[in-house]
Amino acid sequence: MSVKELSRGIYELNLDDRKMLATRNIMPGLSVYGERLIVDDGTEYRQWEPSRSKLGAMVLKNFEIPLEPDSTVLYLGAASGTTVSHVSDMLTDGLVYAVEFSPRTMRDLIQLCDQRPNIIPILADANKPQSYAHIVEKVDVIFQDVAQPNQAEIAAINSKYFLEEHGHLMLSIKSRSIDTVASPKKVFKEEVRKLESDFDIEFEVLQRKELDPFHEDHLGLVARMFVDDED
Amino acid sequence: MADMEFTAWFGKLKLGDAGELEDCSLFDKDPEKLAGLVVELHGNVQDVPLQRPDLREVALESCFVELDEDYDVLLRDVCIRAAKSQISQTDTDDSRIIQAVQALDDIDKNVNELSERLFEWYGRYFPELEMTGEELARFISAYGSRANVPEGHALSEKASQSMGAELSFADEELLRALANNICSLYDTRRYIENYINTSMGSVAPNLCNITGASIGARLISMAGSLQKLAAFPSSTVQVIGASRALFKHLRSRAPSPKHGTIFNNPVIKNAPWWQRGKLARALAAKISLAARTDFYSGELSPSIKEALDKKLDSIRQANPNPPKREPKAQPQGKGGKKTHRGKRKGGKR
Repeated sequence: MSVKELSRGIYELNLDDRKMLATRNIMPGLSVYGERLIVDDGTEYRQWEPSRSKLGAMVLKNFEIPLEPDSTVLYLGAASGTTVSHVSDMLTDGLVYAVEFSPRTMRDLIQLCDQRPNIIPILADANKPQSYAHIVEKVDVIFQDVAQPNQAEIAAINSKYFLEEHGHLMLSIKSRSIDTVASPKKVFKEEVRKLESDFDIEFEVLQRKELDPFHEDHLGLVARMFVDDED
Repeated sequence: MADMEFTAWFGKLKLGDAGELEDCSLFDKDPEKLAGLVVELHGNVQDVPLQRPDLREVALESCFVELDEDYDVLLRDVCIRAAKSQISQTDTDDSRIIQAVQALDDIDKNVNELSERLFEWYGRYFPELEMTGEELARFISAYGSRANVPEGHALSEKASQSMGAELSFADEELLRALANNICSLYDTRRYIENYINTSMGSVAPNLCNITGASIGARLISMAGSLQKLAAFPSSTVQVIGASRALFKHLRSRAPSPKHGTIFNNPVIKNAPWWQRGKLARALAAKISLAARTDFYSGELSPSIKEALDKKLDSIRQANPNPPKREPKAQPQGKGGKKTHRGKRKGGKR
């Protein structure tokens, strides 16, 4: 077996000529959602299924992932924590604030937080960053995967409150939750335009790519917050 | 200039004009109390200044925690407690009704499947028995093999002359066990129905009054909560449960659906096809009103029902006959659900 580091904390394992994405398990022996655990040379890896994770798909689509081991991350739309668990693996010296609105999925997420020391669960609405501003500090990266019609706006207001200067925004845009009928290409274009010019903070879009074949009608996007140097 | 106040999870911060920290009064370092505060602040959204000091730095400088790691450990503990208490608070009256409605659907699905199996299986041994569903299950549960049907029973003649095969003891036990289970599912179904009726009576009395407990419960279930149902426009209420037809309409030239789950209300179900759209619209309007009254006041107000009955009567009187259609005015037996390709019906919804 061979191991190649694709990005900080993200590995490609080559096992019997099958390539798979993985992260280093910070809680060896524990599988989070039934994923495979693979031990190589005393290090345990957790297989990362890109079709179950937008972030995983973004890695395979050659996005540059701006996560460092000591990053602080605000994760909006954490769901049951499938992707959050891999982010938690990467942040060996960092912290992830996981915001999720549905109490039902939070029930699963809490189990994960109980196991792992670097996830802070927040049951709140990502539309209202003021409702969790008493908890969340300034963060290096915001990752957002919410199925809401106003995805660009949610990203913008959260960046406004929480993103460090020159911090990164990683976004997965689901066209079906913005308009079920319109063509995804048009929806993406409009969302990117909104992000670039509709709000009082600006973003410089670094990379954008559709996430097929892993996720249909989803756009992955990495942007950096643009700060006026005049202030 | 007035100072800004901002409450963080560990204390109250007093900020100056430029967002600099002026004063900080710390809370008690008890995780349970802090968790309560965190939950409270999720609910009462405060004004958050964009320029504010870094929470971690303030907590360290004010000696709320000594080390960076202590901050993480305590915050994590507090947030997990907070989220857990929020989750336990989500068990509300209407969420229980929703679970009950879904359990009812699950039971229906399973009981139908099992009843069909029982019918097929038992039919080998007593094909002349013209029973299905609960009746069949109760019969098998009581007698098992047709040989056990006592003399004098209405079916005893049929049983003794049946062309069915002999039922061995082992098979009889199995069939009985299956029948018993089906009977108990039917019993459970009744319990759940009663439960829905009583709790709907207290949670949503007006909704019950307008459209009955079971349709009302179903509407709450489809909307997600009584609050959401109350927030829907009545045009949405009218078509809840007809999402496939609705999206077909939005995507192509299919006609818009006239009714969703409220079709099951006898007012619409028993109405002639040309009145259904109009009646559904009137009913949906009053359902919305009822849901809002239930959510915001909780008192039964009989005037909604009276107004509805009046409106329904006036619709019925105004449209006694089917409208004539120009190209071919064929009488339509069932109507309503037919798709009229390429042509929109005027005025109907």
